[in-house]
Amino acid sequence: MKKRCWRCFICNDIHYGVTPPEVCPTCKVLHAYVEISAEEARKILGGGPDTSMSREDFRAAIERFTAGNEFEVNPDQAKVDLLLGGVFANEKNHGLKYCPCRLRTKNWEEDLRIVCPCNFTIHETYKGVKDGECWCGLFIRRK
Amino acid sequence: MLVRPFHQEEIVSHLIMFHGRECPHCKKMMPLVEKLEQESSVRFDKREVWHDEKNADLMRSYRQDIVPKCGNQLRVPTFLNTETKDAMCGEVEYEKLKDWALRQA
Repeated sequence: MKKRCWRCFICNDIHYGVTPPEVCPTCKVLHAYVEISAEEARKILGGGPDTSMSREDFRAAIERFTAGNEFEVNPDQAKVDLLLGGVFANEKNHGLKYCPCRLRTKNWEEDLRIVCPCNFTIHETYKGVKDGECWCGLFIRRK
Repeated sequence: MLVRPFHQEEIVSHLIMFHGRECPHCKKMMPLVEKLEQESSVRFDKREVWHDEKNADLMRSYRQDIVPKCGNQLRVPTFLNTETKDAMCGEVEYEKLKDWALRQA
């Protein structure tokens, strides 16, 4: 099923999915989402101040993302620096934070699967692997 | 009639290494590839895919040959024999790389 864009009519939260959340996670209002165009969603998400994210911001974001999870950001700083350089170069050159260790297919839906962080927990390099890591090595299983 | 001399190198020139500039696996494999090239007649055509769209398109053109052997994805590094369509991807030990490359000849 095709994913679409949705906007909370109370607080303007944006959701991208097959169906909208029943309860808005921000304002907690029931049945608050209305379908909108991707263009409208882009304008809402892209507008206003402080919409860009620096490499340091992203680094902090993925640290927060991994907190409480069974995986963590790789402690190898040199590797992380190299990878984040690639992630940001890909965003600048190709539009999204694509994994530097894979290649986009030019199919939008397919390529969303390689935006960092990707769902590496189902990949052969991580799932069921004791010292598992995501394909590029940015995330590793917490010891 | 011009008869070209036999060069072992020509036998293995159909091997491509697709790699990414900011990929740590590729960075680790590159010296091993260069070592193999120094120690044998194996030669890889090295193609960077994130900063060169022609190389990216070339890799995409071999998608059906690469993805079944690489976790159903286009990954780098990928080593491809363009004639037999045999492919190997990821960070591997030197001996495994050497075995694969020599097998292609």
